[in-house]
Amino acid sequence: MSSLSPVTGYEIPRNSLAWMLFAQVAVIAPHLVRLPWWIIMVCFACGFWRVMVYQGRWSYPPRWVKVCFVFSGLIGIPLGYSKIYALEPAIALLVIAFVLKLLEMHHKRDAYIVILLAYFVAITEFLFFQSIPYTLYMFATVVMITTALIGLHQTKSHMKPLQTFRTAVVLLAQSIPLMLVLFVLFPRIAPLWSVPLQTGVAKTGVTDVMSPGDISSLAQSDALAFTATFETDPPPYGALYWRGLVLSEFDGKSWSQAPDLRRSIWRQGEAPPEWSNNLSYIGKSYNYSIIMEPNQQSWLFSLAMPVLPANRDYVILRDFRLAAVKPVRQRIRYALRSSLEYRIDPQLTNFYRYRYTRIPAQSNPQSQSLAKKMYREASSPQGYINDVLRMYHFEEFVYTLKPPLLGGESIDEFLLQSRRGFCEHFAGSFVFLMRAAGIPARVVLGYQGGEYNPSGKYVAVRQFDAHAWAEVWLEDKGWVRFDPTSAVAPERVERGLEAAVAGENTFLEGSPLSIFRYRQLLWLTELRLQLGSIAYYWDSWVVGYTPDRQMSLLSKYFDRMNRQRLGSIMLAVFFTVLGLLAVFILRKRSRAVVAPLDAEFLKFCRLMQKRGCARKTGEGPFDYGARLALYTPELATEIDSVVSEYVRLNYSCAGNNSAQPNIKSLRQMVRALKIRALTTRV
Amino acid sequence: MTDKKTALDAQTIAPHGIDKQALDKQSLDRQSLDRQSLDRQSLDKQAMPTIKQGFWRSKRFNIWLKKRVPPAKVVTLGQRNIFILPTGQGLYFVVLIFFMMLAGINYQNSLIFALAFLLISLFIVSILHTFRNLSGLTIQAGQAGPVFSGQDAAFTVTLSRNGARTYESIVLGWHADMMQGADLLDNTEDQARLYVTTGQRGWFNPGRLLIQTNYPVGLFRAWSWVDLDMSVLVYPGPVAGGDIPVSLVAVNEGEALLKSGTDDFHGLRQHQAGDSLRHIAWKSYARTDELLTKEFNSFVDRTVWLDWDHFTAMDPEARLSRLCFLVVQLSQMTDDYGLRIPGILIQPANNPEHKNKVLKALALFGLDPDE
Repeated sequence: MSSLSPVTGYEIPRNSLAWMLFAQVAVIAPHLVRLPWWIIMVCFACGFWRVMVYQGRWSYPPRWVKVCFVFSGLIGIPLGYSKIYALEPAIALLVIAFVLKLLEMHHKRDAYIVILLAYFVAITEFLFFQSIPYTLYMFATVVMITTALIGLHQTKSHMKPLQTFRTAVVLLAQSIPLMLVLFVLFPRIAPLWSVPLQTGVAKTGVTDVMSPGDISSLAQSDALAFTATFETDPPPYGALYWRGLVLSEFDGKSWSQAPDLRRSIWRQGEAPPEWSNNLSYIGKSYNYSIIMEPNQQSWLFSLAMPVLPANRDYVILRDFRLAAVKPVRQRIRYALRSSLEYRIDPQLTNFYRYRYTRIPAQSNPQSQSLAKKMYREASSPQGYINDVLRMYHFEEFVYTLKPPLLGGESIDEFLLQSRRGFCEHFAGSFVFLMRAAGIPARVVLGYQGGEYNPSGKYVAVRQFDAHAWAEVWLEDKGWVRFDPTSAVAPERVERGLEAAVAGENTFLEGSPLSIFRYRQLLWLTELRLQLGSIAYYWDSWVVGYTPDRQMSLLSKYFDRMNRQRLGSIMLAVFFTVLGLLAVFILRKRSRAVVAPLDAEFLKFCRLMQKRGCARKTGEGPFDYGARLALYTPELATEIDSVVSEYVRLNYSCAGNNSAQPNIKSLRQMVRALKIRALTTRV
Repeated sequence: MTDKKTALDAQTIAPHGIDKQALDKQSLDRQSLDRQSLDRQSLDKQAMPTIKQGFWRSKRFNIWLKKRVPPAKVVTLGQRNIFILPTGQGLYFVVLIFFMMLAGINYQNSLIFALAFLLISLFIVSILHTFRNLSGLTIQAGQAGPVFSGQDAAFTVTLSRNGARTYESIVLGWHADMMQGADLLDNTEDQARLYVTTGQRGWFNPGRLLIQTNYPVGLFRAWSWVDLDMSVLVYPGPVAGGDIPVSLVAVNEGEALLKSGTDDFHGLRQHQAGDSLRHIAWKSYARTDELLTKEFNSFVDRTVWLDWDHFTAMDPEARLSRLCFLVVQLSQMTDDYGLRIPGILIQPANNPEHKNKVLKALALFGLDPDE
């Protein structure tokens, strides 16, 4: 094989081009779900055209076709997206440039630009997904892109795509140690400027308006809302009330937040507002951290009552709930300390008393009169609350995921007619009854419960754990939590939704494939928990490796950690690892190249040596074979066939150095001998 | 491509100018096939800088280089003589990583960081691999046949490896557009024929041979300039001018007899003053009273003397070029030719060694032969 070829002129090596096309498909594929249909069409058209060029059937498109493609991109993107300065149109533009460049690969430089773009398109995928499978997939595409890059620098006569792939794998595998060093030690810094984030993503999780039916539809999803990791053992299941939103306005049908109550904020490093004194913590507190999945909302969940977080991005609002300064568009992690016993607002001003007892005068008249009647009969507010809860418990109220649709006077209909409802019905009607009786009350939205993962030691809270309950203000006690749902379906609070709706078999009815429907299969649950804990570690230590986390981790191992010190540690470790790599990569491979035929025979010799009869120096194959046959007579026939086959092959190609003997037969014989040797071991 | 380096023998030799024109025509044809050909070539030149650039050409650097990589017929590449720097592509790659890092920082996205770090590591590791792809390679000088001035001289260089390490995409040569690629994968030895355009006549030293590679990822270029101590004899560029100076010279009797044992009577012609008395046809004179001279052609040899003075009013180089042209012409005929230039006299003959001897004399005329 003559490997010499002149270097003048340029044509992209086909080996490289094939890999480039593969990599391109792989890189764009995950984006397809987000791209408008016409960009997908352009992608397919360009890809198809390029494949035809590759196969030599078509030639490159004429200039006007390319101009059409470019204009379709330039005009289509502003038309297709409402907002230009956003992530999606930017990525669409990148993808268009990437596929169009395919049709313009005349020079090495063009091919190189395509490769660089491919790397960049690959990273944009991480803006949307960061799970382990996605990461592995993107890593595989990076291997493919690197293969194309290597192919670009090989001589045209090199036509072994798999060998090129192997080189890429070796190269990237050798890069991994350095990557790990950089990943752990490279000083992370805070964002330099704000960047366009994903838009048009549906907000998930609980919303700030609660109408009947909202939470029961949310309960159809098994998506993860957040995970909470406790430093100690977590509180009991029934105490896991993840407080998120406080709804204090009622318009006759739905509950919503009072906008004016959100203005005053309590933030670390700023003068605490006057109302911050209304909070006192009692008893044991829990330290925990929450990794929250992006939900595009600005409220955070915490066990009541949280201590003001150190991070200035998270604040406490007037109703003592936690909020984020900006909506959660990316997975965030926040550390909290909560005391489960607390007292808030022991005294309430008239303004707030008015606010928390306000209901539209004409709405749900039957319920209003019911409340007034029951309140008269009860001796005290506490007695009235107990009566109402007893009513839920003893009268035929049903906790169901499939409540009937309610009309205009929804609370009247629910309390007096249908009596079938989900947590929002119970919480809403309960608060209404309190207010109608003149007792300040409000609806709290959040999650209740969560699944404890013993291997990961965290609690995973999913959308079907969404819950609504009530807070009632009592003189001197302040705001006290009451959960009317627990009066109807105590198992909801003690064991979760699945147990609560087990009778009607409606748990995750809309998602028959959800793994959570098969909790009775123990192995499946075990597997799910294991995978879940892996994903959790991934999210908290890899995806969630933020500047804070880096500092707190490294401070454990190094004193007086700061960014400069971190930088010098990084350089020291980096160059040490690089030195080791250099020794490994540049080591002399003076070992002579052994012909495959001889290698097979040497394998045979080692096998026999292990058996206790080594070949003597200078001993010919036949002599050695004869001696072996005497040493291990039970293997004599196999030994003889190996030796004679080796000698036969060795002479069959004598005098013709380039001919490679077919060593398949010999290999089979050696393998047979090995098996025989194992079975007849003495 | 290969047609540029057509065979170098004298049979097909054409004057330099024509040769170039033909080449240009060929390249034009290629361009009409592929419009992009032109900038492609210029690009490749960019991608492969040669010895003829800026700092690398400076005198100071070359003195240093001579100490570091001294001339030798066999050179094994190693730390002493391999240089390595990022390529233009490598710099683009750095820009890419920079943007990735920006994205990672602004989106606080660890996985983008991870990929950016992976590419940084790839960049660094590729230094080792690119270096490794030259280190340990042995280059051995081969022979080069003489050429005419302006032609491409072909040097043979042998690349070999010792040990299991393989080499891929090695590129070597003297000129950006005349680089040769070589692989040492299954084979342990490879020969490269390298071409270099020669200049003036005399001993031509192509200078340091550039041997480089940017394998595997093209982010770094490892290279070495090895002085393989090679040189080639360059004959003057042949220039057509004037006819072959046909001078019929009657040789003296002794030599003629030695040359031919038989009298090959050719004919008679009118006696002219100065004709040898021996050749007068006395018998015919007795009969006709007319003085005729016998012609014995076989006793006469057509010997050409290529004489310095044959071309007057020309500068030495022009004379040498024309003489060279005549040598090439004559070597295809049967006539003997000799050379007579100031200080040098080569007796007539006609065989390949003689031709080389004459051409060498022309090539080195007025030059120090040992240079």
